[in-house]
Amino acid sequence: MFQAMFDQWKKGFDAWENATAEYLETVLKSPMVLTPAGMMLSAAMKSKAASEKALAQFWGAWGLPTKRDQERTLHALNQLESRLLDLEEKLSQKG
Amino acid sequence: MKGLKNVSTLWARKPPPVGSTPCDVVYRENKLSLLRYRPRAEGVKYKTPVLLVPSLINRHYVLDLLPGKSFIEYMVSVGHDVYCIEWGIPTDEDRFLTFDDVCDRYLGRALRTVSREAPNDKAHVLGYCLGGTLTSIHAAVRPEHFASLTALAAPIGFDDNGLLSKWARTGEFDLGAITSAFGNAPAWLLQGSFQLLRPTLSLHKAVSLLDKGDREEFLEGFLALETWGSDNIPFPGACFRQYIEELYRKDGLLNESFSMSGHPVKLSSITCPTLAVTFEHDNIVPHKSASVLLERVSSTDKEHIHLIGGHVGSVVSSHAKKTLWPRISKFWADRDAPAGTNVH
Repeated sequence: MFQAMFDQWKKGFDAWENATAEYLETVLKSPMVLTPAGMMLSAAMKSKAASEKALAQFWGAWGLPTKRDQERTLHALNQLESRLLDLEEKLSQKG
Repeated sequence: MKGLKNVSTLWARKPPPVGSTPCDVVYRENKLSLLRYRPRAEGVKYKTPVLLVPSLINRHYVLDLLPGKSFIEYMVSVGHDVYCIEWGIPTDEDRFLTFDDVCDRYLGRALRTVSREAPNDKAHVLGYCLGGTLTSIHAAVRPEHFASLTALAAPIGFDDNGLLSKWARTGEFDLGAITSAFGNAPAWLLQGSFQLLRPTLSLHKAVSLLDKGDREEFLEGFLALETWGSDNIPFPGACFRQYIEELYRKDGLLNESFSMSGHPVKLSSITCPTLAVTFEHDNIVPHKSASVLLERVSSTDKEHIHLIGGHVGSVVSSHAKKTLWPRISKFWADRDAPAGTNVH
């Protein structure tokens, strides 16, 4: 009895879910939604980037390394490791 | 009622044993690890190894989800020598990693490592989702180590009217702002985008749980997939920017405007045997966006498998074990290195 009721309810739910998903897809594709959403997201990101830049400038003014400096250094080390692996491969091919 | 009881005890269950097929790390570079799966007891049957390349934004264990529901475990059990790239989790300094670093340097070195163990220096390469895009690009520019290319639900055409394509092409969506603010494209942003592809999906899952929660196998699979689905990883910033700008916005592969390490990428340069696998209800990579690969490659030996189902379920379900996996295995087996070829 309970199962039959649940099955019936589920049929209705599936139909609703399908229709709602299709409707939401249309909404989420609409420029009326995408344009302001894109602008809001970009504005929030720009404000975060600006505050981090200000903080980095503050640390830089004290002659201290910033987060970006550390990232660049670590990345340079990774690139160096990669070049060494390139060389190692070339050497083993010749050897 | 048993379903309800099972669902109510979900919180107390042990985490599912995802990614548990035995393997060894045979190569590492930065965050990347190259995994080699231990062969079955009677040894490998096929000479040509297989390299699996998962998407950059998900963990590799979707291909090794659960014992008995694992693509990798299946391929090992039928006798393939299986390797898989685990991209690892990018950290802040990886914001500077470019598409060339990932697609040429990292993927190239992993492929050369695998090929060294192979006859003719060649391996079968399978790329899943974005991994398929990476392998197709690599195959077009550096084809020498490809015994075959398998593109599993891999986006090639990006102007497809899908939601992801629409969002990526929105001019107001400022990529520079995202990478300036976060360095890498954050996992929550990527995960949020996937959830918005079908906002009602969470409700649908909850109802499915009530409906099928009495089946232990379903519950285990459900939990494993949810574990994987919520385990997104950030996308290296510079690479993400190039991916969206060059591939999504300019449709760079079909327009032939994309290049890797300064070499133009022409899909027509791909001549190795090519298999494209697409899914009818794939809302992440619409099937036409993936099957177009076969129209562009010059390979004379090419195959298309098109199945009913979605982007993930069709690859990891128990149904896939009977339909998809044997066909992929056969594709590789039929193109194995001929008898008498020496393994290095």
